[in-house]
Amino acid sequence: MLPLSLLRTAQNHPMLVELKNGETYNGHLVSCDNWMNINLRDVICTSRDGDKFWRMPECYIRGSTIKYLRIPDEVIDMVKEEVSSKGRGRGDIKGRGGAQRGRGGMPGRGKETLEKLLLRLPVGWME
Amino acid sequence: MSGTVSIITADGRNIVGTLKGFDQTINLILDDSHERVYSSSQGVEQVVLGLYIIRGDNVAVIGELDEELDSRLDLHNIRAEPLNPIINY
Amino acid sequence: MPTSTPSQGGDSGGAGKERRKKESILDLSKYLDKAIRVKFSGGREATGVLKGYDPLLNLVLDTTIEYLRDPDDPYRLTEDTRPLGLVVCRGTAIVLICPLDGTESIPNPFVQQDA
Repeated sequence: MLPLSLLRTAQNHPMLVELKNGETYNGHLVSCDNWMNINLRDVICTSRDGDKFWRMPECYIRGSTIKYLRIPDEVIDMVKEEVSSKGRGRGDIKGRGGAQRGRGGMPGRGKETLEKLLLRLPVGWME
Repeated sequence: MSGTVSIITADGRNIVGTLKGFDQTINLILDDSHERVYSSSQGVEQVVLGLYIIRGDNVAVIGELDEELDSRLDLHNIRAEPLNPIINY
Repeated sequence: MPTSTPSQGGDSGGAGKERRKKESILDLSKYLDKAIRVKFSGGREATGVLKGYDPLLNLVLDTTIEYLRDPDDPYRLTEDTRPLGLVVCRGTAIVLICPLDGTESIPNPFVQQDA
C-alpha cells in the first residue's frame, strides 16, 4: 500500500500533521496531491512548545515541510477496499515488482549474451 | 511487508509499528505504532500513536524488529539518554 | 511573473471547465485582494494582501507585515512587527498559507490528560 494512497483515502477524515518546524495542525483533510501538499479545514494549530494555539478555517501546507501525519486507524481498512476494487488498474505497480526481479536477472542475461558471443566465435580465435 | 519495524526519525524519536507500505521516497505507513520515549531517569515510556504516515525526509533508520528478542526486553528498567535530532531544521 | 497571473485565477474560476489533474490543489484566486498569513521555512511569518501568484506558489503581497521573532528562538514569535510593504514571496520557501480572516489565537482547546 502506498502512503499517498492512504492519504488520499483519508480525505474528509480528521488528522494530525506535525511539521518539521515542530508545529502541529489538527484538522480535516480536504485534499492532497502527489507531493503530499495538503489542504486542511477547521484547523487548530499548536506551537512547537505546545503553549500557543490558533484556530483557522482552512490552511494549505507544503508537503515537503511535513514530518508525519497521524491518521484515524479505521482509514487503513478503507484503503484495502479501494485498492481491491482498483486491483486490476494497479497491475502496473505489481509489474514494477516484476521489473525489479528482471533487474536482478539482467547480469544473467548479460552472461548469456557473452556465452552466445563466445559460441559464435570461430574456432581458434584465441590464437 | 507487514513485519514489525523500528524507525529512528531525523528528530531523534524511536517509533515501532507494523510496516504497511512505503514508496520510492521512503514515505512509510506504520500501523499500530507506538513511540518509545527514552529517559536517563526512568524506564522507557511507550506512547500509543496508531496509524502513521512518516515522511521519508524524516526517516533516519529503518530496522526489522525481532519480536521474540524484543519481547524479552525489560523496557521498565532500560535507561537511556534521548537521541538528539540529527538534522538542524 | 507573479503579477501577470490573475488570468490563472480567472481560469480556475471558470466553473464550467473540467479541472485537470495537474492543477494545483490550492486555488489562490479565492484569496486575491484578501489578507493571508504566510509561514516560511526558517521560521519567518508575515501577513499581507494577496495581489498575485503563479503556479510555483510565488506570491505578491501588499501592505505586508512581518511578525518578528525571539532573537534566541527563530520559531517563537514576539509581539513586535515590522512593515514590509509590497513584497514577492518565493514559493519554494513557503511552508503554509491560510486566510487571515477567521484565524485567531485561542486558549488550549485540548482536554488536559493530566487533569
